Amino acid sequence: MSILNVFNSPTTFALATCVMADRRRINGPPGGTRPAIYATSLPSIKDADRARRQRQPSELRKIFLKTGLIPSASGSSYLEFEPSASLAAARANPKSLIPPSSALKLACTVHGPKPLPRSVAFSPNIVLTTHVKYAPFAARKRKGHIRDASERDLGVHLETALRGAIIAERWPKSGLDITITIIEAEDDRWWGDAPDSHDASWGMMNVLAGCINAASAAIADAHIDCLDLVSGGVAALVTDNDGGAPQLMLDTDPAEHRSIVSACVVGYMPARDEITALWLKGGTSKAALDEQDGRSGHEALVDGAVDAARGAHMVLGEAVKESMERALGQTT
Amino acid sequence: MASATGAASHPVPPSLSLPPSQFARLQPHAYLLAHLSPPAASNQPSIRANGRASSQFRVTSANAGSLTHTNGSAVVRMGDTTSVCGVRAEILRTEDIASWSVSRTSNEASNKRRRLAELNEKPNEEDEDTAADDEEDRAHIEDLNLLVPNLSLSTGCAPGFTPGAPPSALAQSLSHQLLSLLHSTRLVRADDLRIWYQPPSLGPEELERHNDDEQMDVDPNPSGGVEDHKNREIKGFWVLYIDVMIISLAGNPFDAAWASVLAALRDTKLPRSWWDVDSEMILCSDNVSEASKLSLRGLPVASSFCVFEADAAAGWRAVVIPDAEEQKARSQKKGSQQRWILADPDGYEENLGQERICLVVDKEKGGKGKTVVLKMEKHGGWTVDTDDLRQLVDISARRWDEMKRILDQC
Amino acid sequence: MRTGQPRLGSQNRIAAYFAAVVSDESVRECFAGPAAFPILPNKRVYFARNRGDGEDKEEVEAKVQALGVTATSKYMGEQWLVHVPGTHTRSATHHPQKNCVSNFVTFTTRHQATTTFIMVGPTASLAPLYRADGSSSYTCPATGYELLGAVNAPVELPARRDALKPEEATVEVFVKPGTTTAGVGERYVEGILRSVLATVILGREKGLPRRGVVITLAIVGGEDVERGDSYLTLLPALLHTSLLALLSATVPLSMTFSATLLGVTKSGIIIPDPSAADAKAMASLHALAFSSKGHLLLNESQGRFEFDTWEAVRQKALAICQNTAVSADGDVSMAEGAEGAPLHDFVRETVEDQVHRDYPWKIDAV
Repeated sequence: MSILNVFNSPTTFALATCVMADRRRINGPPGGTRPAIYATSLPSIKDADRARRQRQPSELRKIFLKTGLIPSASGSSYLEFEPSASLAAARANPKSLIPPSSALKLACTVHGPKPLPRSVAFSPNIVLTTHVKYAPFAARKRKGHIRDASERDLGVHLETALRGAIIAERWPKSGLDITITIIEAEDDRWWGDAPDSHDASWGMMNVLAGCINAASAAIADAHIDCLDLVSGGVAALVTDNDGGAPQLMLDTDPAEHRSIVSACVVGYMPARDEITALWLKGGTSKAALDEQDGRSGHEALVDGAVDAARGAHMVLGEAVKESMERALGQTT
Repeated sequence: MASATGAASHPVPPSLSLPPSQFARLQPHAYLLAHLSPPAASNQPSIRANGRASSQFRVTSANAGSLTHTNGSAVVRMGDTTSVCGVRAEILRTEDIASWSVSRTSNEASNKRRRLAELNEKPNEEDEDTAADDEEDRAHIEDLNLLVPNLSLSTGCAPGFTPGAPPSALAQSLSHQLLSLLHSTRLVRADDLRIWYQPPSLGPEELERHNDDEQMDVDPNPSGGVEDHKNREIKGFWVLYIDVMIISLAGNPFDAAWASVLAALRDTKLPRSWWDVDSEMILCSDNVSEASKLSLRGLPVASSFCVFEADAAAGWRAVVIPDAEEQKARSQKKGSQQRWILADPDGYEENLGQERICLVVDKEKGGKGKTVVLKMEKHGGWTVDTDDLRQLVDISARRWDEMKRILDQC
Repeated sequence: MRTGQPRLGSQNRIAAYFAAVVSDESVRECFAGPAAFPILPNKRVYFARNRGDGEDKEEVEAKVQALGVTATSKYMGEQWLVHVPGTHTRSATHHPQKNCVSNFVTFTTRHQATTTFIMVGPTASLAPLYRADGSSSYTCPATGYELLGAVNAPVELPARRDALKPEEATVEVFVKPGTTTAGVGERYVEGILRSVLATVILGREKGLPRRGVVITLAIVGGEDVERGDSYLTLLPALLHTSLLALLSATVPLSMTFSATLLGVTKSGIIIPDPSAADAKAMASLHALAFSSKGHLLLNESQGRFEFDTWEAVRQKALAICQNTAVSADGDVSMAEGAEGAPLHDFVRETVEDQVHRDYPWKIDAV
């Protein structure tokens, strides 16, 4: 008798489809649907199949960042992370329908500065609105059409990261809309692992870092004056073998790690060595680092995230340079 | 530059010299008209402001299967309009269908009939679907809502669509058009979406095998004859959530959206699924080699057109609008062209014409057969009639060849 | 309308025609009892009767003439369609299995052997609503839809100040389904209606620029449109209702129009005005609208068809709408639509009726 491993527990299925019929969209069957449940005999999801990190602890994934792909917007950018080794292998030689991990893909547009709508009160500064939305097919679990709490949360984090960098008093009575559509998100854990009590939405942190980078590029593409290009970076303390000391890793893909102790994402302006946004999650106090490392756990985390952000800043610089060259080419 | 001479042909005060880009914004109608009807002396061809000939479509590229968490996905770019489509399949169990037990008996009767017919002839030929098959497809796909397309424009794709707001009227009507076209072309076969259960005939060997290998006992392709189909019953359906995100909008969203839906459906793979008696649920195999692609009916390709009139306000000023016949005669006599039908209009051109035509065509026998029209929509004006539509069907047929090449490559 | 008493309202409002497949007795009844069937002089009246044994054309006509009506008749399928000259005719589709003519409403007679059918053509009345600037009600028995349209124009649209065009009126259309709230399908059909109506409304006339023309169409009766349905069966009725409401609100129009729905069966036969149920079985469906000057204002076609088929459909639709097509060959089914008064006259007559009712003093004075 084979043992069935049911990854999507039947109790948690498709809450989104059970909500009241939305008259402004096309609805599915009224009884609701369930995601596919894969039955795989246990031996085949041994740890050997786990996605593993092939990069050095301080090695970042490659970022593809391009500006100006959406001409109707004042500024736009498209960002894509390099697929992890396991995903690349699965793509080249597909065996299972369950993807081992996923790589972030998102599109960002900036509309503005534009006059504020009549109903809005006077503002001496630019009014920044950020909006982050996952495509319904972006994550392992189908997302609803209406923004959920985590998406609104990401929007707030993104606004915090960017607000400090934009020279807001240069555009009184104006609005700036930043819209990000996430086409493919990152996982919070390896798909084979059961949800854990201390599990957090680690994937969201990577998404936020990606959002910050893409938004900075799009803002620069829209020629909005900023103090510096804000770049985002993620670092995490991870334990990959049981009982081992947690290790500091930059740009972690949660699907590649057994357990993430804590993680941190920053919005960072290298030119001023200033952190515009900081989001740290997980217990860092008991994390013991190297003996010679005098830093506490969270200091190390923030330093790591800043290092990752510095790395991203280089890509950002290139993308913005490209955007400027294009703009100059158009005017002459 | 063409635009400079075009500008000169119109009475622009000599003191005010504008670069073409400014002129395009201030006098969009005159700007496009100057391009389309250059002065006879200049010897320039009639060309659109974006450099295309009037029946030329934008450069189109398609890329399928790049999104990880989908059963099928595609990105289609038509010029500056980009559409991303992801297809996610979920399971609808028959227990969750309120009316299932009522309609079941009749369904099963027809299934049996059809199954029998299937044994005699392969149902692969798209034109040989029986009427019963047709009815059944409609009953299952349309009545059970197995196809759920939704299009989103609140992605910041163009100014004017507030992100976070409920879908705009345009997004809603595009979603509806996608669904309506999916239904009327019968693109997806209901048979691909059914999940069957074949109860084992309780012979002693069967039971033994049942114990040996749990998973194999309900193999969907039993080699037996008609008898095997007797007790087959439908345990569930795949529901395809077809979500289209228009990432960038620069005119003609429907063609791009439909192309991405088509490419994504062509890419869609459904896992092998079966009813598991022990756990009483539908389980799927994650093995790629066991998964099957959808077998779609034909390849309907959409082409949209927009009419640009030389004198847009003609209708308003004329005291008496000429009769259709009279108008035709007059335009032939006049010589100079009064209107242009622009294929695949971009955002700039869409704002300058009210009359729209949308054609969906397919070619039988994979491109070798005759052209059939699957949808023909025309509204917003009165200038286009039979002769023009006949030409547009030909243009759409040529576009079909081009799109087939693009979709086959992706 | 299963009773012998069609809901027709006051006689003046009736711009309808009937057809009945009747035995001799029920024809007499039909004529004899104005309470049951108010047949008006110069209104459109049709009869069809089941083919009796060995009856021929002359015999049928003689029988009908004996009732005091001069008529011509035609044999179609299993039935005779008796046509009273000067009245509006519609083609009737005969289903041998059901023994009914699909466009026709049934009522029972004491003669079990012959089933009796009555057909009521589109019925419309102007200004049924008092508060709206203009309104119309419309019933199309062929498809079973009942619609109520209201027009308010010109109105200020302060909420849409940014969207208003400086040089012309903004046309807004709202479609309200009978039993549910409006969904995506309604948004789609609203878009189509808006683009058609915006072409005929003279939005640059005095008083209209920067203002709104708001058209609200409520589907009062008939089948609900299903999810993902094309709305084609409803389009002609929606267009007629909005046109009559616009006329009633005296919104300046450059021309009027009429619309029709045609279905093509799998064997290639063109059938006018299929009901919603029949429409599903069609190989292709076409809704066309022609302006009063013969322009093709709207075409919505779906299904599988070739262009030549569409051309035939267009010819037929134009014949139904405008009566311009020539049917030189004596083909009965083709002549059917072309023979009677065109749909376009239906619009005209409805308005004329209203004028006669509203301005009798003026007309009398002339």
